[in-house]
Amino acid sequence: MFFSDVLSCPPRSVFIMLALLVIFIAVSQGLADLNPSDGVSDGVYEDLKWKALLCCDHPVQTLNSGLSEHPPEQHCQLLNATKQQSFGSCLDILCWLEGERENLICNAKTRRAAAASTLVSVSPHQLVVQMDVHSDEANSTAQCVGEETAICSVSLHGGDATVSLVIIISENGTTAQSQKMQVSTYELQRPGAPVNLHYNVTTEGEVIFRWTGTQPDNNTINYEIQYSSNSLLQQWKVLKVKGRSWVALNELSSDIRYTVQVRCQNHLGYWSEWSQPFYFKLDVSYIPAEVFTTQESEVTVYSVFHNRSWSASKAVWFLNGKMKIPESQYRVINEQVSTVTLKMDKAGFDTLMCCLTLGEKSMCSIAYAKIYTEGRFNANITCESEYSYVDTMICKWNQSNWAQARLLYRQYRSKCTEEAEEDTSLVKECPSKAGDHRQCTLSQISMIFCYKFWLEVEGGRGQSFPVYVTPIDYVKPSPPFDLEAITLPSKTLSVRWKRPSLPVYGMQYELQFKALAGMANTQWKVIGPLLEPQAEIQLEESCVHFKVEVRCKDVNDTGYWSDWSNSHISTVFNLKAPEMGPDFWRILQEDPTRNVTNVTLIFKQPILAGDPNSCVEGLVIKHQASGGVMWSNETTLARFHSFQWRKEAHTVTVMSRNALGISTWNRNITLLRQAKRRCVRSFSAVANVSCVHLSWSLLSDQPVPQSFVIEWLDLNKDPEKDVSLTERIQWVRVESRSRDLSLCRRFYGSEEFTLYPVFADGEGEPARYTATRGDPAAYILLLIIAFLSVVLFVTLMMSQNQMKKLMWKDVPNPNKCSWAKGMDFRQIDTMESLFPHSEGLTACPLLLVSESICEVEIIEKPHPLTIENVKDNEELPSGDKTTTDSGLQGDSSEALEASTAAPTPETSGQSSVTYSTILLSDQPSQLQKQQESLSSSSDEGNFSANNSDISGSFPGGLWDLENSNPRHSSSYNSVEEFSETSEPDYEASENTGLAKDLYYLEMTGEEKEEEEEEEEEEEEEDEPEEGQSKNKRVMGVNPRPLLESQNSTASNSNNMSHSIPLYLPQFRSECINPT
Amino acid sequence: MRFPALRSTCILSMLSLIHCIPVHQHDRKNVKLQAKTIIVRIREHIDGQNLLPTLIIGDPGHYPEIPADKPIQGLGSIMETINTFHKVLQKLPNKHVDQIRRDLSTLLGYLEGMDCTLKESTNGKALDAFLEDSASYPFTLEYMTLNRLKQFMQKLIDNLDQLKIC
Repeated sequence: MFFSDVLSCPPRSVFIMLALLVIFIAVSQGLADLNPSDGVSDGVYEDLKWKALLCCDHPVQTLNSGLSEHPPEQHCQLLNATKQQSFGSCLDILCWLEGERENLICNAKTRRAAAASTLVSVSPHQLVVQMDVHSDEANSTAQCVGEETAICSVSLHGGDATVSLVIIISENGTTAQSQKMQVSTYELQRPGAPVNLHYNVTTEGEVIFRWTGTQPDNNTINYEIQYSSNSLLQQWKVLKVKGRSWVALNELSSDIRYTVQVRCQNHLGYWSEWSQPFYFKLDVSYIPAEVFTTQESEVTVYSVFHNRSWSASKAVWFLNGKMKIPESQYRVINEQVSTVTLKMDKAGFDTLMCCLTLGEKSMCSIAYAKIYTEGRFNANITCESEYSYVDTMICKWNQSNWAQARLLYRQYRSKCTEEAEEDTSLVKECPSKAGDHRQCTLSQISMIFCYKFWLEVEGGRGQSFPVYVTPIDYVKPSPPFDLEAITLPSKTLSVRWKRPSLPVYGMQYELQFKALAGMANTQWKVIGPLLEPQAEIQLEESCVHFKVEVRCKDVNDTGYWSDWSNSHISTVFNLKAPEMGPDFWRILQEDPTRNVTNVTLIFKQPILAGDPNSCVEGLVIKHQASGGVMWSNETTLARFHSFQWRKEAHTVTVMSRNALGISTWNRNITLLRQAKRRCVRSFSAVANVSCVHLSWSLLSDQPVPQSFVIEWLDLNKDPEKDVSLTERIQWVRVESRSRDLSLCRRFYGSEEFTLYPVFADGEGEPARYTATRGDPAAYILLLIIAFLSVVLFVTLMMSQNQMKKLMWKDVPNPNKCSWAKGMDFRQIDTMESLFPHSEGLTACPLLLVSESICEVEIIEKPHPLTIENVKDNEELPSGDKTTTDSGLQGDSSEALEASTAAPTPETSGQSSVTYSTILLSDQPSQLQKQQESLSSSSDEGNFSANNSDISGSFPGGLWDLENSNPRHSSSYNSVEEFSETSEPDYEASENTGLAKDLYYLEMTGEEKEEEEEEEEEEEEEDEPEEGQSKNKRVMGVNPRPLLESQNSTASNSNNMSHSIPLYLPQFRSECINPT
Repeated sequence: MRFPALRSTCILSMLSLIHCIPVHQHDRKNVKLQAKTIIVRIREHIDGQNLLPTLIIGDPGHYPEIPADKPIQGLGSIMETINTFHKVLQKLPNKHVDQIRRDLSTLLGYLEGMDCTLKESTNGKALDAFLEDSASYPFTLEYMTLNRLKQFMQKLIDNLDQLKIC
């Protein structure tokens, strides 16, 4: 190119003609041999260029042509620009790199500016630039010729090199040659941008950003790092780093993607280009990110939360995302750094995640630390083989799915052998299926060969224990097929099936079955192992369809059970057709929009055939409309069947069917629109908690229906739960002779029962009745009210008695009574002395005198009279009274005194009642015992008396006197129940033939004197008779029996008591029958 | 024309209407079917991971490169989002999610068949950088991605009937 340029260049009016000649000479010489300082004159590296000024004085040698074989004389030298005046001619030499150190170009050019004054004499004809390249890659030479300018280029092959440069100037046959100038290409280029940008995080949480410089360290002076969080890279933050290739970045935020670039500056001041951008985002860092350890070794991992809002104190660590590590193994280094230490007890691969606790949840980043524990681990590899068109084997494993692992295998011929060194050429990877990363399938396997499987963590960072599998031992057979099952009338389920042809070894079977009806709730029943492909199963009932499944397995129990076979529904075997059709009822629902009635037939369940050798498999519903139109439908064993009915008469007959025919005895129903005959006279219901008793009667002039149907709505089924009316309707058929029915089930008490008389030609007019049952709460309320009423009544009675006690508290001393005036009760030995009437008391009712202000009890008997206080008398068993001994005989006056003392305040409350008892005893020998009883039980009797007040009904009551223990009865009696307590006494006395007279004596003011006189007379009259009869009494009062109806002698006393006003409301006298 | 801006707006509006394709009921049904299939597969896959249910990996506020709680704006946006998920699943190293990726690719292809134009993703570089950063944690990345994809599929099902045009 240069030659052509020169040849084509036209002659000019200048003195200097330069011809360029370029010659490339390859020189084999190492760069190390080229010392730029050897004989190298100064040049200047500036602005990525090498510059020099070469000036020559005199040419010393004639240059004939081409290159001289002899070195030229030294008449040229490199000068500073200021010294060029002393030289004849000067050349500006400029060298620079082209491209990425591909070529070095040097240009020698006559200095024109100076030539105008000083270089006029210099008129070289030819300039020769010779360049020699010395580099590692190659040595080469280039020689270029020119006139005023010579430009030369030499290839550097992309590497650094030192280029020797020699300038030869030829003029008129003389030649001037420059010194060898050396140009270092290394100095002519920018430093390379730093590479390998990355960052580390320290255990204190500090982020250290690092890079690698491309310049020798002594050549690099400065680095600059710029980073931006802006995706548009508009805002850079620049850091200057001197002398080191790392910097701490402490002001970074988490969850921001940063772009970082670095450049460097060499000793020449040249800045490199910015490095390739490095992107990173801080989230959670783990130190170390990967751990290689051994079993039973402790591992410590640090976690740095770069998110400042996450506190290490709230860190929680998880192993493999499945197990929380106990907090005792954590340690908080600072606000952002947490560490955990744990012992790795199993070989294999594990992960550690450090998360932030958020209540019950834990927030985690996607980063985790990986721990590889040396040694083989258990991957739980299991395989199962399958005979099919192509023998296959599926192997699964159960290793942490966090590890990228692959299943390797090797096939052995015949036996498995463990070799120390696995022949890797025989090891293959088991192909896994997409989407199932813990399972692989081997096809075309050899069933009797051995296979060795093991799991290998990707990158060779772990290996599982191998498992050796001979596929024939892990066969999962295909399930049996062609099942046949039949339910026999003998309540037997007979099942047959076929076994798979492969594997050929013997099979055992398991059979499972369940009734088809209500399958949702029934459980499978499993039978097995069975050694034959058939089974006979005894059932609890016949006529049932069963769902049957069978599976199989090697009879030697190796391998796996097959899957269950396809389900098969058993058929029901029948000897004949059903005898009778089902019982059914209907529900009518009007559809006014379509002017039809929806009829739903409800079949009574279960539908029986009437014969054990026939089963109902379905129903036939036969319709017969008016005009003789007939049709029929077949259904399965449903509970309902619906059809539409228009106005015409419609008869429906329901028949049972099976494979052998239909039933012959069937029930039908006729639907009519016309008015129905009325035959029910009355229909009523009585409901209680659990039963409803329904009864009805018929009109006598109407024919008797064929049957009755009673229908009601089951209120137990909530209509809001989409329970249809047909589900809620309940019905029962009653034969025609019945006139009542008890339905015992849960009733709500508000059901409406409808009685339908059913005739052969249709239904009669129904009768309805709503069985109302009171609300149980109302009953409870009623009971409570009744109870409270009783309590109130008793309380009132008690208070009344208390009032009476208070009223009679101050009963005057009988000694002050008018009738007792002048009497000394202590000296009165006999009743006659008090009441000296001659006539005896045939009847002895006590008198109730309301106006009485005093009373006295007088006991009169042939033996010494015993007068006891009522209180004590209550304690006295009547039986004992009959045994009263003479112990009381001499104490009659004392007893009377005690009686009179009863109203005094010193006595107990009970004794304040002013009753007195007149005890008659003809058996003194028993008196002592009686007294003992009295003394021992008086207090008790007083106490118990208050309690017995309320009860009112005790074994010791009047109605129980004959058989009751009198002692027992007395213990419950009280003064207040005096009338009651006295009754046993009376009865006892009667029974024993003794008489205990109990009298209440009362004197009115008006009668007092008369009475006294009468008494005196009576005493006088009676005295002779005293020894004749102990019960013969003559008293000056008209006693009135308290319980008249119980005493046959009361009538006698009534005649005497007509003038006696009631004294106290409660007391009773015993009647003494004078015999 | 005295109002060039108004005229331009009108023309653009007309052009956009011409571009919009009505979404047929049949298409919506198939898209829903595919989305439901993806949800079921994701659910089964995640259940197989047996991670503690209390773990939340990848808060929705983090990792914006993978769409989370992204509203359904239109079929174009839907396709863009699905394409992003598809890219992420492609980057996952294991074959765990191959079937889900195929399902997603099917869904994407079906939408393209409805003459919906797939827009160029606006965060392609950021996504690439994120995937590069996350390459060391394929399982948590997969877990988070599938959870977000499941949410998006559910949103797609819920809102697809509202989309009348592409």
